[in-house]
Amino acid sequence: MNNDRREFLKQTGWTVLGGSVYITLFSLLPGSSRAATATQHLYAFIVDTEKCIGCGKCVDACKRENSVPEDFYRTWIERYTILEDGTVTVDSPKGGSAGFNPVKTAGPVEKSFFVPKLCNHCRNPNCVQVCPVGATYVTKEGFVLVDEKHCVGCSYCVMACPYGARFVNPHTHTADKCTWCYHRIMQGHTTACVSVCPTRARLFGRVDDPQSSVYTILKKNRLQVLKPETGNEPLTMYIGLDKEVR
Amino acid sequence: MKHYNHIIRCILLLVIVVIGFFIARGALVPESFGVHGTYTYGYHRGDSAAEQADRYALYQGSTKCITCHAEQSLLWQPGRHAAVSCESCHGNWQAHNNNTSATIEKDNSVETCMLCHRKLNARPSTFPQIPEFGRHLADQDEQLQQGMLCVDCHDPHDPM
Repeated sequence: MNNDRREFLKQTGWTVLGGSVYITLFSLLPGSSRAATATQHLYAFIVDTEKCIGCGKCVDACKRENSVPEDFYRTWIERYTILEDGTVTVDSPKGGSAGFNPVKTAGPVEKSFFVPKLCNHCRNPNCVQVCPVGATYVTKEGFVLVDEKHCVGCSYCVMACPYGARFVNPHTHTADKCTWCYHRIMQGHTTACVSVCPTRARLFGRVDDPQSSVYTILKKNRLQVLKPETGNEPLTMYIGLDKEVR
Repeated sequence: MKHYNHIIRCILLLVIVVIGFFIARGALVPESFGVHGTYTYGYHRGDSAAEQADRYALYQGSTKCITCHAEQSLLWQPGRHAAVSCESCHGNWQAHNNNTSATIEKDNSVETCMLCHRKLNARPSTFPQIPEFGRHLADQDEQLQQGMLCVDCHDPHDPM
């Protein structure tokens, strides 16, 4: 009995020692040190659904700016049509890139509106948590990006995103999505979709800069986000969102 | 002590495997790969963001356009289309800049205007919309012929 306990303690000791040596070795490796850059969420995107006219300029500009393959969309416009009997139909022909045509409805229309959608660049992005290879991440400014060189195209993130904002690019075979035009923002421009929106239904800017177009809206307006129950805490916020919008 | 040699061999083999693993890992994992920010959201190749930030921006904004096209900008800036960027209708600046002799996108068709101004239920009711182009022509005071375009009466840079 005594002998067994001694053996047990010995083995435990070796295991602990071996484990600590292993961890120490790992932390000494280049690149694995914890960098001092803390993530901040400096930007916000605001969509005013009451201003959107569904012209599709944003979708078209996004596709050109980011070379988005045909039939895939980093941003798209949904048209909600709610009939008086309560039926809700949603359509988005070609993502809204070529505008919308009038539709024949089964009954009188109670209300109808456009809802532009894009990546929400969440504070707690599901898509990043599920990536098994560290190919998607949050930048220090709060953008959720995909590292094309590291992505293996497993599409876990596509399934994890509750907003359907991601897809697998048929050319690169890697995950693809809206970057909030990261390259443009870093170069001092605004996003492509915001720059061509004729009604200022889309706004993007820094949350901490009083000069930015979103600053006062964030302070004064009552804003909503899509699917708050998921806990993702989106940073794309909506004005005038209807209860039927999913 | 009879089997001492076996243990030595095992340990030696283990040491070789461990060293091999770390050498391979060092060679395969990029220098900047690691935790940047929090472990949950920041475990990635650090250089990736900088690489993406380098991409050229095609849309450069109206300020770039009006440096050359002052005539149009004088019409456009005080007009009702002032909020509409040049690139909304004329395509991105870079496409024009790549070959300045190429004319910019200029589509005078009724469809171009109707993209925004066609009457749709989903559009805000305060936004100017045309229910039917034929009716709109017939409603005007002047005698308008078939085949007329929006731009025959309305200057797209300063519509009224």
